Amino acid sequence: MKLTLPLGLLTLIGIHLLFLFCGYIAPYDEAQQDRMAAFAPPTKVHLARSYPYIYVCAWNAHETDSGYDEDCSQKFAVHLFVNGGDSHLFGVASPGRISLFGTDGLGRDQFSRFLFGARLSLFAGILATFLALLLGTLIGMTAGFYGSFVDSTLMRFAELFLALPWIYLLLAVRAFLPLHLSPIQTFFLLVVIIGAIGWARPARLVRGIVLSGKERNFVLAAKNLGASNGYILRRHILPQVYGVVLAQAALLVPQYVLAEITLSFLGLGVGEPAASLGNLLGELQQYHVISSYWWMFLPGIALLLIFFSYFVMANALQRRLKFIAV
Amino acid sequence: MFRITWVRHVFILAVLAAAQSLWAADAAQPVRPGEDVAVSTAESGKFGGRLSIALRSEPKTFNPVTLVDGSSREITGRLHADLLHINRASQQTEPALAKSWKVSKDGLTYTVALRHGIRFSDGVPFDADDVVFSFQVYLDEKVHSPQRDLLVVNDKPIVVKKLDQYTVAFQLAQPYAAAERLFDNIAILPKHLLAKAYEQGKIGESWNISAHPAEMAGLGPFRLKEYLPGQRVTLERNPYYWKTNKEKKRLPYLDEMTFLFVPSEDAQIIRFQSGDTDVISRISADNFALLERDQQSRGLHMVDLGPGLEFNFLFFNLNSVVPKSANTLAAKQQVFRQVAFRQAVSAAIDRDAIIKLVYRGRGTALVTQVTPANKLWRNDKIVLQKRSVDRAKDILRRANFTWKPDGTLLSPSGSPVEFTILSSASNAQRTQMATIIQQDLKDIGITVQVVPMEFRALLDRVFQSHDYEAAVLALGGGDVDPNPQMNVWVEDGSNHMWDLGETKPATPWEAEIDSLMKKQLSTLKVADRKKLYDRVQQLVADNLPLICLASPNILVGAKNKVGNFNPSILDPYVLWNSEELFIR
Amino acid sequence: MRFLLNRLIHAIFLLFGVSLLSFLLLSLAPGDYLSEMQLNPQISPETVAALRHQYNLDRPIPVRYSHWVAAAVKGDLGFSFAYNVPVTKLLSSRILNTLLLTIPATILAWIIAIAVGVISAAKQGRWEDQVASAGTTTLLITPDILIALVFLWVALRSGYFPVGGMVSVGFDELTATQKLRDITLHAAIPITILVLSIIPVLIRHVRATMIEALHSPFVRAARAHGIPRSRLLLRHVFPAAANPLVSLFGLSIANLLGVGLITEVVMSWPGMGPLLLESVQARDLYVVIGAILISAFVLQTGIFVSDLLLLACDPRIRKGAR
Repeated sequence: MKLTLPLGLLTLIGIHLLFLFCGYIAPYDEAQQDRMAAFAPPTKVHLARSYPYIYVCAWNAHETDSGYDEDCSQKFAVHLFVNGGDSHLFGVASPGRISLFGTDGLGRDQFSRFLFGARLSLFAGILATFLALLLGTLIGMTAGFYGSFVDSTLMRFAELFLALPWIYLLLAVRAFLPLHLSPIQTFFLLVVIIGAIGWARPARLVRGIVLSGKERNFVLAAKNLGASNGYILRRHILPQVYGVVLAQAALLVPQYVLAEITLSFLGLGVGEPAASLGNLLGELQQYHVISSYWWMFLPGIALLLIFFSYFVMANALQRRLKFIAV
Repeated sequence: MFRITWVRHVFILAVLAAAQSLWAADAAQPVRPGEDVAVSTAESGKFGGRLSIALRSEPKTFNPVTLVDGSSREITGRLHADLLHINRASQQTEPALAKSWKVSKDGLTYTVALRHGIRFSDGVPFDADDVVFSFQVYLDEKVHSPQRDLLVVNDKPIVVKKLDQYTVAFQLAQPYAAAERLFDNIAILPKHLLAKAYEQGKIGESWNISAHPAEMAGLGPFRLKEYLPGQRVTLERNPYYWKTNKEKKRLPYLDEMTFLFVPSEDAQIIRFQSGDTDVISRISADNFALLERDQQSRGLHMVDLGPGLEFNFLFFNLNSVVPKSANTLAAKQQVFRQVAFRQAVSAAIDRDAIIKLVYRGRGTALVTQVTPANKLWRNDKIVLQKRSVDRAKDILRRANFTWKPDGTLLSPSGSPVEFTILSSASNAQRTQMATIIQQDLKDIGITVQVVPMEFRALLDRVFQSHDYEAAVLALGGGDVDPNPQMNVWVEDGSNHMWDLGETKPATPWEAEIDSLMKKQLSTLKVADRKKLYDRVQQLVADNLPLICLASPNILVGAKNKVGNFNPSILDPYVLWNSEELFIR
Repeated sequence: MRFLLNRLIHAIFLLFGVSLLSFLLLSLAPGDYLSEMQLNPQISPETVAALRHQYNLDRPIPVRYSHWVAAAVKGDLGFSFAYNVPVTKLLSSRILNTLLLTIPATILAWIIAIAVGVISAAKQGRWEDQVASAGTTTLLITPDILIALVFLWVALRSGYFPVGGMVSVGFDELTATQKLRDITLHAAIPITILVLSIIPVLIRHVRATMIEALHSPFVRAARAHGIPRSRLLLRHVFPAAANPLVSLFGLSIANLLGVGLITEVVMSWPGMGPLLLESVQARDLYVVIGAILISAFVLQTGIFVSDLLLLACDPRIRKGAR
């Protein structure tokens, strides 16, 4: 049980590195189209005897059938550490194409799109969490420390944000902002929206801690000894807040990743050609996709891995926090 | 509580035969002597039954005078009739409420003889007063009817005169090509129901969606029975309809018609496949393929009607007045304004890929705004050249564009060429097109951003603020004739979208298009008009104010049991002959 | 009483703030409902301008807001441009449809959650508990979008359940029992999705509070008195654990409108979700504000109800409130 936290942390770091270097790990760019292979199923990877080499066959589109057939006349070896123009972790020689998760309607590699999309969604979640916690901590500490009028004003304001189902608020706020933006701008916009909506809950938590914390004896003592407000906040109150904020982060990141996914799923998030987990899942809303192309579910299933590691992490952190508190 | 399904409970009817007078109003009325009915030439079918169809959105109104949205039009189109009608199958005008019409030699006066003895769906007789009243309403500036714009020729409205109880004369201020086509879709209103509202200035609010069916009447094959917000609209047969089948039995065949509200295409497909709806139109090629695959086992009949009139196009912002906030736009416009640049973009676009990926082969690559469906007006001399990156680069090189070592295209003034294409987020196909164009233009060194945005916001940028660089849009056509597209091509037209709100043409070719379009409007001979419009197409193909991309095929389907299913490439694709449709 | 009154005044101010906020945000958005008309070649710009005037869209925001507030106080939430009907009328039918999904789903989820939670708390660490916790963890990490999509796929594949909409075409002609059956069949899949997305959090809470109660001194004492295990669980431990669950129940009520949004969109159920999405995209201003306002109202009601319940079942709070 003691190992859960470090193990979870390692997994989490591993996953993030995976997505951070998705440009290298993914065999293709997220936008690269193969117009001869729209909606191709995942490439079958054949093993030749017990060799570590793997062979793959090129796809042939049939005019009559919606499916693809393997063209076994030529084999393409899957190479590791490809170095040609861009370097990639693995790849096949040119007319051949390896798509582990199949391709989408424009013949783009779903596996690459998953990696790029997960990077976008994850980092949107992390940045939004950071923003929400930063705002929340600042506002919560101000409210808790100064009390009275400042406190009640800020907390009423927080309640305004808590008074709305977040998904409604998300939709409404997204609707009023300009939609004419490049994917990068949209990305930051989403981060700001999600973060700016999310500050209220951590602010209330932090305020509670500060309220109880500033009555602690050593804080009172420091105050009597003439410590300045800033000093007390920085040296005595902030350390008490850290643990809570960290545990909150592990809880909030998956929530905010989900928020980004939901917005993109509803068509209000990052647009073409950038991939996001929400976009990828959104494709499944099309009847012909969900009924004909099972591999379009793969990104959704892979996504569970991310959420699982965050879940383990949040659990372990909370248990630890409880342990400290007791 | 007595809701009776005609088919299932015939025996109840027998029991209730004594009370038959109660139903008399609902059953089709026998044809009376002296009634000028029209006779349908379609196959004779079986009376009774119900047809259901899905609509993408709810109707906004049942008022044919003020409606602007497709769903309302789809429904009210079944409730009303026009004087002269464009037959959706033959694409020619034919008499509807008018028995016949005559054009004076100068082409300025249309004398229309109305059918005798026909009645509105509430049983009240129809005559010239209704026609005069209807046009009075449509032409009234205070009513703001969208149809008014068509009826006002060169700022002078059409003058409507009653000659006798069954004859009406229409006078135009100047000769107007194919003027009889104007009458299509102008619903004739019942004066006895609407005169009061009109006098009070409330015509716009009457017949809204909360109006009671008894307040409404029309001359169409059906009348309103019930509207359940969020769920459906039900129409029932108009027992006084003025068309009969070959056996002199009064149409329509169907007892009822139900419009269900199913917001997305995917949900519509599911409901069609599960048998909830009987006919379907406006579907994507992907879904069409899916339905076609098992049409045999499900008893469906899917039809690819070939190209329609819709054309998708890419265009650049050439407005002379652009917002100051868009500071980079003015510089980019220097590039956009060069014909060579637009030609190179056009040459670099892989239209075949659009057909293949977006339409799964069910579409046509376009070189002008006239699709192959429009055989009458298409200029066949203009041919589409195959995509060629080399040709595109050649054109650019000759226009003094250069390339950086990394392949980035530089404008003659030395700045990198890049722009943003807006597309409608709700239209997956157009966004796909933009994504394909993005990839294509990379090959000639142009960096393109694709920004799918909410449709209304997009239109706001194109039409109001002019704050955009390029966009992909589509224009459809209810008619093959060039006249409804006047406002796209004349210089001050409200849909002259690449350069709006200006009265003076910026270039000689724009001036020429402007004058050609105006000239064809007052030319009466079709061959002469065709020559003028051929030239317009040539100018569009050469100068590319709109870079036409592709036209999707019209894909429709129906259950096998729907008789007289005769879809058309003109809107409304499947319901235009609703009076002749029947359930086998 | 003062406590309740305070809460009420608070809630009113909150609703006012929410309306102001949403009105501002949406009014600042580019484009309005009438923009789309401009693409219709048959409509002149003058016509569009006149319509814009008719709908007050050309007036400054403060004027529009004050008009709106004055009407809202009387229960008139404005007019839907897209549907041409009063917002209240439009929303009320949609809310009903949403509740038709969420209320049965919430009740079902609570029943299952209490059963599973109590069992796994009683059998803490045994295989029953482990199976339950594996299940809840799986559900917890699966986004409801994915759950909804998977069930959509299942429904399409199996063909046993109607997909999309709430009723079949010939609904009016059915007898009462057939109608019930029809709606139930249509609602089955959406309710299942909802239950699965609500349930893991509930189970975890029930289990945790039960375990906490099980380990409290009075239970140990009761056990020492020889009270049978089942009686102990149901008569003594469960009521003691009910307290935190009551506030959770209030939250469940508060979420009745919001929780089904994704499910409704995916399964095209004619509830609030699809309407809200459509209205946001169509800039149907008053519908969006109305929807936000009503959902905020429901949320406040939920919190209020949980306060009341807490007041009713926990004597300590009752004392404190006076």
